[in-house]
Amino acid sequence: MMRQFSLALGQLFVVFIVQEAIVNQFRLPGGGFSLLLIFTLVWAVLSLPEIAAFIGFISGLFMDLSQSSSGPIGHWTLLMIAACYCVAYLGSGNDSLSGNPLGFTFLTTSAVFLVELAFVATGALLGVGSGSFGQILLTILGVSIWSLVVTPIFLPLFSYLHSLTFNTRSVI
Amino acid sequence: MRRGGEGRSRLLLIILIVTALFLITLDLRGVGLLEGARQGTQTVLSPFQRAGSVVLTPFKNFFSDVTHLGRTQNQIEKLRSDNAILRSKLLQRKNADSQLAQLKNILDLAGTAGYKIVNARVISQGSSQSFSQTVTIDSGSNAGIKKNMTVLSEFGLAGVVKEVSPNSALISLATDPSFRIGIRIARSQQIGILSGRGNRSASLQLIDNLTSIKVGDVLLSRGSIANRPFVPGVPVGFVTAVDNSAGAIAQSATVHLYTDFSSLGVVAIVIGGTAVNPGDALVPAKPQPTPVPTVTIYVSPSPTPTK
Repeated sequence: MMRQFSLALGQLFVVFIVQEAIVNQFRLPGGGFSLLLIFTLVWAVLSLPEIAAFIGFISGLFMDLSQSSSGPIGHWTLLMIAACYCVAYLGSGNDSLSGNPLGFTFLTTSAVFLVELAFVATGALLGVGSGSFGQILLTILGVSIWSLVVTPIFLPLFSYLHSLTFNTRSVI
Repeated sequence: MRRGGEGRSRLLLIILIVTALFLITLDLRGVGLLEGARQGTQTVLSPFQRAGSVVLTPFKNFFSDVTHLGRTQNQIEKLRSDNAILRSKLLQRKNADSQLAQLKNILDLAGTAGYKIVNARVISQGSSQSFSQTVTIDSGSNAGIKKNMTVLSEFGLAGVVKEVSPNSALISLATDPSFRIGIRIARSQQIGILSGRGNRSASLQLIDNLTSIKVGDVLLSRGSIANRPFVPGVPVGFVTAVDNSAGAIAQSATVHLYTDFSSLGVVAIVIGGTAVNPGDALVPAKPQPTPVPTVTIYVSPSPTPTK
């Protein structure tokens, strides 16, 4: 189990570096996409709820440690634990959602949309400025649409890495 | 057995949530250890970001050129194989020229006011998943940059230094929703507070309600004690709309920021302000309309009428 979590930690770190050093270099319209967020949510759908929560914890911690994160450390961590647990709970045993690429993409994109929305709502409670209503709407929609485009492209790779790490046979 | 598994799962979830809440509490209480963790992460990331910036520059330029491909599609396809190496060099040159032009304008701006500056290249843009507007630059505390220093672009104010690590720094842009700056209006010397709104238009709140504000008024930074976070006299933007709603406590307006944040390649960090306030010296000149030549035709009647 420790070996699996070490491997997961290493992969999350690599995705975090790719996000910060490569994806963020491109000034994509609508706010672009978060590869780490998509990666984590894809893994969460494929995992058991408690493992998903742990993956969400690590991933959220990386997001919090990013210099571009505007909230306090722990903000993304809390959201990602909840999001991954819920996504895993919805995905486990529901083959119509997690068993086919379309359902998978839909679940992941919806989760991205809701996580961003939750970030704004909880950020408001914690005193984090998020901009005007129009700008928030534009960013959330932009990030969600980008996720809808990017998820199917990376889905085979991410699910393959998950199967390698956790020795499961389910590859989308 | 099953119940035991569920119990452990629930316990793990509770432990993770409590840890996250604990981190939030510590951070909100300003525990330095967590701030150090963010800076440490940036120190680790900055070499990767610098490498990514160098490697991806031709691709970034390629994406920006895609919009112009339609017009010269045939020509590009015909010459692609011959010109691949040449184009790559040209793209790099184009990027260097653009950065040079930005740098020249920044130096002009800083030289006029007498600011002591350090130039830096933008190596990464902050992810907008957190709704913040930040960029990372390739210079840090080793170059004399400290937290809360003014950041200039070629057009005026770009932002303020938010975090510093030895070889990089995080800049909070003027568009960031949490960005606030004290300004004065160049025409009337009225003072107010400008707030970022997530895009290039910002909102202005005047302190005094007795005087009026007009569309086109130029806003300059008011300056802070010991020139940090803001040096005085930096052009910020101009008023595009005035909100004259009855019953408002103070007048408010919409401001268009001078800096084009989408093409920010080079910035300057003011590490030493001037002893003398530059006043309105940095107010950008209004664009001069191109003179249109007028043609005057004189017609004189001929002495003999034509039949």
